[in-house]
Amino acid sequence: MFDLEPGTLITVITILVGGIGMVLGAILPAVVEGRAVLRALDGMVRQPEVANDLRNTLIVSLAILETTAIYVLLVIFVIFFANPLLDRFFPAG
Amino acid sequence: MDEIIPKVSFYVFGVPVRNTVVGTWITMVFIILGVWYVRRTLPTALVMLIDFVRDSITGIMGSSVQADRYIPFLGTLVIFLLVANNIFVIPAIATPTMDINTPLALSIVVFFAVHYFGFREQGILGYLKARASPLLILDIISDVSRTLSLSLRLFGNILAGEVIVAVIYRLVGPLAPLPLIVLSLVTGVLQAYVYFVLTANAIASAVVRT
Repeated sequence: MFDLEPGTLITVITILVGGIGMVLGAILPAVVEGRAVLRALDGMVRQPEVANDLRNTLIVSLAILETTAIYVLLVIFVIFFANPLLDRFFPAG
Repeated sequence: MDEIIPKVSFYVFGVPVRNTVVGTWITMVFIILGVWYVRRTLPTALVMLIDFVRDSITGIMGSSVQADRYIPFLGTLVIFLLVANNIFVIPAIATPTMDINTPLALSIVVFFAVHYFGFREQGILGYLKARASPLLILDIISDVSRTLSLSLRLFGNILAGEVIVAVIYRLVGPLAPLPLIVLSLVTGVLQAYVYFVLTANAIASAVVRT
């Protein structure tokens, strides 16, 4: 694999890293968000009178947890569409 | 992928104007027309929305007197973001928040507004005294990272929606991305709400008297 041309090698590694990174970046926030929802639902069932408070906090914290996945996505956008390494080694392409 | 990258539409005296800036202007026109319409008719749905925003700020700030002082700022944010995140349902208009510059500008405004409100509420000396502690360096780091995370969160969510719609359109064809557009609408409203709640929390932590 490593006797490829440098441009091809960088592209291949970029695609591999993008795929693996997106998989990990989707799985981990999903698991953590699932736990957060679970605990919030537990609380809502136990004390229905604070369900509104819990729901608002839950939505905000879910959005914050989701941000980690969004960061991964942004990094992958950067290495896919504006790869700094490709620009450095091959200024034309 | 050319649809999702902001393009230069035209030049004004040599300054490039991107299509997301044009989208911002159209957003402003929509908001101004909406305000003019609301002033004349006062629809119930909008009154409920405003009440919801007010209740949320009251819940975060603790008292309604305190909350009323920040409704102009936070309300402007939430109205602008609600319209701007969802303007893409009109064809050929670029979402303003799809360009990193719009969320970044909003976050810088929030950064300065938080400190301004802190100064206004506690006085310059009082605010400095409240901030002066061994944790000052952590405060500064959290200020900067809050600005970054607010802007990147909004930008990433909106951009992700646009990219998915563009990819499905390219792969499948017209009408196929409709469910994803609905998902983008939900995401836009949710992100406007999240941005608003986090800003309100930051202001609340700055103006609280210690």
